[in-house]
Amino acid sequence: MKDTRHEQRDTTMNDVKISASGVQVYYGDNHAIKDVDVEIKDKTVTAFIGPSGCGKSTFLRCLNRMNDTIDVARIEGDIRIDGEDIYDPNVDPVQLRAKVGMVFQKPNPFPKSIYDNVAYGPKIHGLARNKAELDEIVEKSLRRAAIWNEVKDRLQAAGTGLSGGQQQRLCIARAVATNPEVLLMDEPCSALDPIATSQVEELIDELRTNYSVVIVTHSMQQAARVSQKTAFFHLGNLVEYGDTDQIFTNPRDKRTESYITGRIG
Amino acid sequence: MVDIPDSRGTSTSSILTADKRTKKRNAAEKRFRFYGLAAICIGLSALVMLLASILYQGIPAFTQTKVTLEVPLSADVLDPEGNRDPEDIAKVITFGYAGLIEEAVENAIEEYGIEIEGLDDPAAIVSKQASAQVRNWVLKNPEAVGGTQQFSFYTTSRIDQYYKGKVTMASAELDSQISIEQIQLAEALEEAGALERGFNWDFIFAPDASDQRPEAAGLGVAIIGSAYMMLIVLCLALPIGVAASIYLEEFAPTNRLTDIIEVNISNLAAVPSIVFGILGLAIFINFAGLPQSAPIVGGLVLTLMTLPTIIISTRAALKSVPPSIRDAALGVGASKMQSVFHHVLPLAGPGILTGTIIGLAQALGETAPLLLIGMVAFVTEYPDAPPDGFFDPATALPVQVFNWTQRADPAFAERASGAIIVLLVFLAIMNITAILLRRRFERRW
Repeated sequence: MKDTRHEQRDTTMNDVKISASGVQVYYGDNHAIKDVDVEIKDKTVTAFIGPSGCGKSTFLRCLNRMNDTIDVARIEGDIRIDGEDIYDPNVDPVQLRAKVGMVFQKPNPFPKSIYDNVAYGPKIHGLARNKAELDEIVEKSLRRAAIWNEVKDRLQAAGTGLSGGQQQRLCIARAVATNPEVLLMDEPCSALDPIATSQVEELIDELRTNYSVVIVTHSMQQAARVSQKTAFFHLGNLVEYGDTDQIFTNPRDKRTESYITGRIG
Repeated sequence: MVDIPDSRGTSTSSILTADKRTKKRNAAEKRFRFYGLAAICIGLSALVMLLASILYQGIPAFTQTKVTLEVPLSADVLDPEGNRDPEDIAKVITFGYAGLIEEAVENAIEEYGIEIEGLDDPAAIVSKQASAQVRNWVLKNPEAVGGTQQFSFYTTSRIDQYYKGKVTMASAELDSQISIEQIQLAEALEEAGALERGFNWDFIFAPDASDQRPEAAGLGVAIIGSAYMMLIVLCLALPIGVAASIYLEEFAPTNRLTDIIEVNISNLAAVPSIVFGILGLAIFINFAGLPQSAPIVGGLVLTLMTLPTIIISTRAALKSVPPSIRDAALGVGASKMQSVFHHVLPLAGPGILTGTIIGLAQALGETAPLLLIGMVAFVTEYPDAPPDGFFDPATALPVQVFNWTQRADPAFAERASGAIIVLLVFLAIMNITAILLRRRFERRW
């Protein structure tokens, strides 16, 4: 199952970037996440897999407090990034989100030019002192997202005019432009065709050198291809978390085995 | 195997011939299309009839019959003291000029050699406005006293209506305000080239006039009053409405209180407009002591009325911005306010503008609340420039229509229709602007 395109890198030595313990999430009366403990390592791609409605996206959105925008959501437990509690009352979610970037399921570029899409984050965070610096950040981000060569001649064209895969890579460029430390991806390839998917997957593997990447995916093949660590969620529980190879070849839990072999989900 | 009975009745059905059920279904569809078409035809014919009747009655209001006369500005009448002092000339009241007009008409009859038997009071064909017109001119040009000056006067409304086909010789015989001989005089003057019908700008720009001289009545004050009120509504209702909608849609927590507010805003939109008039009368005039008939009060009342419309349409526009845009902005670390003002509001802009213009158009045509705050007054003086003008008496276009339909002279009926045409033109311009703005700025994502 393992795609050999990507060179296997040892991740056991990497530091812990995000540690979550005893996380509970309630949507009104619905207990969506039940007592999840997980440690996500730096410079590693961690995949969250599981059947629909198992809470993997919900948990992902806890990591940059995007659930704050939902009135009925209530979060308990402890989530730390570099040892700092992100739900501490002193934490401004705006600062947190600059540090923890996010890419969404559906490509959602702003209806503005490609340049403005990428430049928006650095502008509001004051990362560039002048136009030249901003230009540099935009170019660097677009290069990192592997889309520079396709759009360098039309930076002023509308971002919404790109193809689906290009739009998603533009969104990744936008996310990395604020210089985050963690990149959260919520099913980034579910709206893309196979070619665009493989482009984005390659990109994810490259991003690992700079960021800790957490990716939610429906596709087990994708998890196997891009991730080093995999977490399997089922009905709001974190069933199993371990090295991707181990999860896919030698799952410890029966439910994980059933899901991977296609009997549930 | 269970034997399933064939619903089509025959076991060998061909798709080349429609079966019973299909025929029935097709017939139902045909009938429904016919009903729809009939409904549209009824609606369209109602619109066409309405427009045709208003245009037929109102278009003549834009033209007016005028007579050109040489008026002797005799010094004996206008400047008895003989020293050409403007103050002394001003002492001669308008009534004193009536004799000059009579003289002017008699001179014209003599000059053109018109002979009509039994002609009584020939000056009655000239509007009563004429004396005031000459006096105003003389006060501005006192040095002209003693000479003669050519003026173009309105004819009375009866003569004007004769040329528009609404007064006939038969009706004139029964009419105390016009005689057959006077009509003959008008025709003779027309032949001599001293009387003609032309476009009447004064209908649009002049102020209202009294019952005795409908030929002089115009829409000027009403248009200015309406414009002032729209300005006030725009300046108050747009920022308040948009701020309220943004708060309710983007920031307010969903709880019982915001639910109650939401329901009440919808209810407010359904409140009869006359209730807003009573509110305005009680609060702005009786309590706050603002002047009656003033555009400021009208504008405030119409603001209250327009607010729900603007809030509802703004909220709809904000709601139609996809949540993925908000997520995207929050995801790169924008604050709630930045995401609203940088991304959501610009995308909702065209919808907000359209809603505002439609709200303004509604306010422009509103009559009932303005009647209660005294804007139905008879105003012959233009209000000043804003902001002082907001406190001067004025009327509004729809109120002017209402006012004119209540006057006795049939010439006012024609003017009421003419005023409706002006009002409709303004409404059409506003609606077209709304459509163009929406087309121009509409974005897809």
